[in-house]
Amino acid sequence: MTKTIVSVTVGLVLTSLSASGAFAQEANSVALVLGSSGSPFYQAMQCGAQARAKELGLSLTVSAADQFAADAQIPVVNAVTASAPKVAAIVPTDMQALIPPMRELAGRGTQVITVDQTISDPSILKTQILTDNKAGGGMAADALAALIGKKGKVLVITQPPGSLAQDAREAGFAATLAEKYPDIQYLGPQYQSNDPQRAAEIITSTLSAHPDLAGVFSTNDQGAIGAITGLRQAGAVGKVKMVAYDAASAEVAALKNGELQGLIAQSPSQQGAVAMDIAAKLIAGEAVKPVTMAEIVAIGADQPELADKYEYVAGCM
Amino acid sequence: MSNELAIAPVESTEDRLLRLVAGGWIFLLLLALVAIFLVLRPAQFGSAYNVQQLFINAAILLVLAVGQTYVVITSGIDLSVGSVLVFASVVSAKLMLFLSGAGGTTYGTTAAGWDIIAIGTVAALLVGVAWGTFNGILIAVTKIPPLIVTLGTMGMALGGAQILSGGVDVRAMPELLVTHVGSGRILGIPTLVVIATVTAVIAGIVLHMTRFGMHIFAVGSNAEASRRSGIPTTARLIQVYAISGLMAGIAAVMSNARFSTTTINGHAMDNLATISAVVLGGTSLFGGVGSVFGTVVGVFIPIILLNGFVILGIPPFWQTVAMGAVLILAVWIDQLKRRLRKRG
Repeated sequence: MTKTIVSVTVGLVLTSLSASGAFAQEANSVALVLGSSGSPFYQAMQCGAQARAKELGLSLTVSAADQFAADAQIPVVNAVTASAPKVAAIVPTDMQALIPPMRELAGRGTQVITVDQTISDPSILKTQILTDNKAGGGMAADALAALIGKKGKVLVITQPPGSLAQDAREAGFAATLAEKYPDIQYLGPQYQSNDPQRAAEIITSTLSAHPDLAGVFSTNDQGAIGAITGLRQAGAVGKVKMVAYDAASAEVAALKNGELQGLIAQSPSQQGAVAMDIAAKLIAGEAVKPVTMAEIVAIGADQPELADKYEYVAGCM
Repeated sequence: MSNELAIAPVESTEDRLLRLVAGGWIFLLLLALVAIFLVLRPAQFGSAYNVQQLFINAAILLVLAVGQTYVVITSGIDLSVGSVLVFASVVSAKLMLFLSGAGGTTYGTTAAGWDIIAIGTVAALLVGVAWGTFNGILIAVTKIPPLIVTLGTMGMALGGAQILSGGVDVRAMPELLVTHVGSGRILGIPTLVVIATVTAVIAGIVLHMTRFGMHIFAVGSNAEASRRSGIPTTARLIQVYAISGLMAGIAAVMSNARFSTTTINGHAMDNLATISAVVLGGTSLFGGVGSVFGTVVGVFIPIILLNGFVILGIPPFWQTVAMGAVLILAVWIDQLKRRLRKRG
């Protein structure tokens, strides 16, 4: 109960703050609604978008709720609707819940596109910039399988079910294991909600139960930070191979230190830039492809330059 | 001065018995849990490795929960602990990064010496105390309810940390801090556990054996009566929240050392985790009753539950169910205790 009040109140406060800055109605006004504030991934996306918007001469307003949750994000989308930008690029935090507010936004003449995530009714969208998280999970399975010689016990650390992207990563990981690697024993997912403390507990406890644990896959950066801490605490760094999603600074450093052996990285700044390219085209009345797939790369321990290139930095903040 | 003694809780034998049964109840539960897991998986659960991991995993939360105990005894609540931790860790990490020159021998670390680490630590503690004092002044002087004040500062501190850091975790920590405090040992005991133990022991002594501690109980059980008996209730309340902030500052240094990064997004649940630990430990949300020892037990319950469930291979959703059930049970016992006391 307290948590609900907390998130809603903080969400409303932030919403009113971000909304107050969003009254641009020029011919080239673009709004970008991020999945949440204070996440390295979306900060990097914001920086990429801002840099490209400046180049293209777009008037960009960025807003975000404090949590990656539909109830926190809908008021932000409503505020954007009130400011009536020409184009709105949105990272919808829920496939269903965001449809009505986004339909209203589109109904008032704003051209709506989705970035990173999408909604289940694409008819109101001009285009979608999508990330195939299931494929990313599969890439993680391939990378981890190669690291552990295609056999042994593996564990996944992910968010509790309900986060679409993370669910898809886990599902893709599990599906690829079942399909291609019969000798790998999948111990199943364990859950942490952006809680490195909990992730560390899960790793140390799992090592008590399964001292022969061969590999770990974390579907996000906070889980990875906690999992690495757990491995360090247990003296199992390097013995237990680890692959993690995202390329936050701490993960890149861990890769270079040999504490984890593979990263599945996206390029949020590029996604932000592509969103602005599309926005400029839409404003100019040009045609756009219905779907653009965002890039996902697997980075190995021997590719530190690649890790540097994809590291989620918010250089503009 | 003599009338201060008069407000010390005078216990009848029956009261004391009740308190022991109810207060010890959660300790019995802890022992029962340990016994069950030991019987089911003796080699794994009872291994020296596992026991040591349990203590390390409890360390940071324990420090935060000790501060929360003080606050809850005054019938207050501090929702801002996790955010203050994040704010203090960002300030401390940025300061240490600014002061240090060369990188360490591993990536994501710096070669900063103990002098710089000391400065960073002091900064974290001061920042924690500052937020706590701010909370305390708003609560004690302007009389805004603690729930609202700390809800507000929870957002302010987290937002402030994000502004300072640009929302991205500070990229490097002093290598000495990570190796000696985060994963180091003192006389074979993990440094984090040593820090948590020393903190809890001092906090327990101050709370249960000093006049200052007695004042805190008095303010919690009846603020008006305390004020009339000459206890500086305003000052005590401010100090209590400052202590909670100080604990968040200590926990910030421990967190930086342990995770070797600032984990800005990783502490949203810390407030609820500490509050439930405090409540599990028999500290009453209505104030005036509580103990640091109870909180220690309360911190270990969820950690042992998770550990045991993972070792037994019980599906993770059941962990959530079990934790919720235990919490409700603990509060129910607290209610029963009050009802019995009233009747007596």
